[in-house]
Amino acid sequence: MKSLVLIKQVPNTDSPFRINGAGTWVDEGNLTYGLNDYDRYALEALLRFKDAGKVTEVVALTAGPERASAALRTCLATGADRGIHIRDDGLNGADPLSIARAIVAAIKDEGFSLILAGLQADDDNYMMIGPFVARLLDRPCATAAMRLELVDGGTARAERELENNRVQVVDLTLPAVITVQTGINEPRYASLKGIMAAKKKEIRTVGLADLKMDAGAIAASAARFKTVRLAPPPKGKGAEILTGPADKVAQELVKRIREKTGVI
Amino acid sequence: MGCRILILAEHEGGAVRETTFELLALAHRLAGEGGGGPADVKALLIGHGIGELAKGIAARGAAEVICAEGEAVKDYTGDGYGRILESVIKAESPDIVLASHTPNGWDCAPLAAAGIGVPIATECAQIAFEGGRPLFTRKAFNGKFIQVLDLGDAKPKMATVQKGAVAAFTGATQGTVRAIPAGVDAAGLRARFSGIKKSEAGGVDLTQAQVIVSGGRGVGAPEKFGVIKDLAAALGGQVGASRPVTDMGWLPHEHQVGSSGVTVNPKLYIACGISGAIQHIVGMKGSGYIIAINKDADAPIFGVASVGVVGDLFEIVPALTKAVKDAKGQ
Repeated sequence: MKSLVLIKQVPNTDSPFRINGAGTWVDEGNLTYGLNDYDRYALEALLRFKDAGKVTEVVALTAGPERASAALRTCLATGADRGIHIRDDGLNGADPLSIARAIVAAIKDEGFSLILAGLQADDDNYMMIGPFVARLLDRPCATAAMRLELVDGGTARAERELENNRVQVVDLTLPAVITVQTGINEPRYASLKGIMAAKKKEIRTVGLADLKMDAGAIAASAARFKTVRLAPPPKGKGAEILTGPADKVAQELVKRIREKTGVI
Repeated sequence: MGCRILILAEHEGGAVRETTFELLALAHRLAGEGGGGPADVKALLIGHGIGELAKGIAARGAAEVICAEGEAVKDYTGDGYGRILESVIKAESPDIVLASHTPNGWDCAPLAAAGIGVPIATECAQIAFEGGRPLFTRKAFNGKFIQVLDLGDAKPKMATVQKGAVAAFTGATQGTVRAIPAGVDAAGLRARFSGIKKSEAGGVDLTQAQVIVSGGRGVGAPEKFGVIKDLAAALGGQVGASRPVTDMGWLPHEHQVGSSGVTVNPKLYIACGISGAIQHIVGMKGSGYIIAINKDADAPIFGVASVGVVGDLFEIVPALTKAVKDAKGQ
């Protein structure tokens, strides 16, 4: 059984985030990047299936600029067998639907039975790519899996995280797309041996021409998902900030707890 | 003109979820801003044996409730709900479609969006008309920034809406209910519901707590939670946590406050070393009084806190514990 993990290279959360000149996104010049945290869990889930002999191949796919190949290398060093990199200047500024269409075009001859993705990307937090790919492939989908098992060759059982510490158990007929919540497993790290081995692993790079995708259609789609403003959250209603030595601050806090909550 | 709006209703345990009425309130406002009125607001309800629930929605916000009933959709699956939502959108051709940003809403609404060929603005905190078109406001970069999206000429414009972002509709309406066949049968579904269960056995119930002291990644290590537990004990409260803490196994999952953990509304919530990712904030912003202690002055948690302290939690929290004990005469 062939499996695929959809991954994304995202800015590290401790990067210096600044808004760009147009006020429509972050200034990417100052950022450092790494593999999206959610995707590490998705990759680990597939590697465990492979360790258990339930999956024969684990492929990692990303869509992004040249720098994104580093995230693919991280996956290969951690244990993925090969990579697919969708890379084309025509995809700069593409909306999630176009990205999903490109992914579906890139894997159409691959025959993946199980496709995993992180629940969301740590930068845009969109939560779209997994379900989009599922629908475009006309395959079932489950999001936010906290447990995942392959029941037999044709079914995946996922426990979808609900609210209030509950899960919904759902059986999906393969091929299927499942997005993974953090905490589903403990992702392994790349070993030195893995890092060396990764250098010899294949990354297939594909562009829009290979995918028979039209830049005009991508631009039209992007116009239906346009960020017109990116701004820091409004401060107005923010907290009153207390300053001073810890013991003085603590006394001020106690005074407020007493007045405002009555719990003391 | 006009602005026709379809909302996806949700129900659970034989009752309509309150988020449904939040969507209806938002839909009423948007219909008005778009040049229409209450008659433009419809709801889609999916399930089995839901006739009475449909009447309840028609009496509280929806001009028409489209009631898709079928044995195959007695329980939620993305496959079943997604297909019905998609086919009803195609038949109704609304201008705006709203679902709640709940585990089921975010699961099925993007499936319908991709089927129709439009994107979807997820986890919106606000939607409002500006210059004659609706703009969709959400958080990006885990709450560091507010993003405003223009969905251009997308038809429909689809969104999932954060729980609690809008006050629920409280008016009375005299809407109608229209039953339609679900259009999916069990044999055709590629996803099968197999039950709902507690994710983990746990003895902690934060939903009933009057005081919660929560620790986040900033606590640094599981063995350092002592200061958090001491403060909770001094206040007679419970210990909560943000998602990274439970993911890393520092505390059991039932301590997690947030969209995937529990939603709490204690009289007092103290967030220590929690930056305030949106997933955490939606679970605690209803608390009566919120104190945030964090070393990062720009942490989003200060945006929802009543009072904040920028500093080292390992200095401030023990000092607060001592001050609480002194105040109680302990």
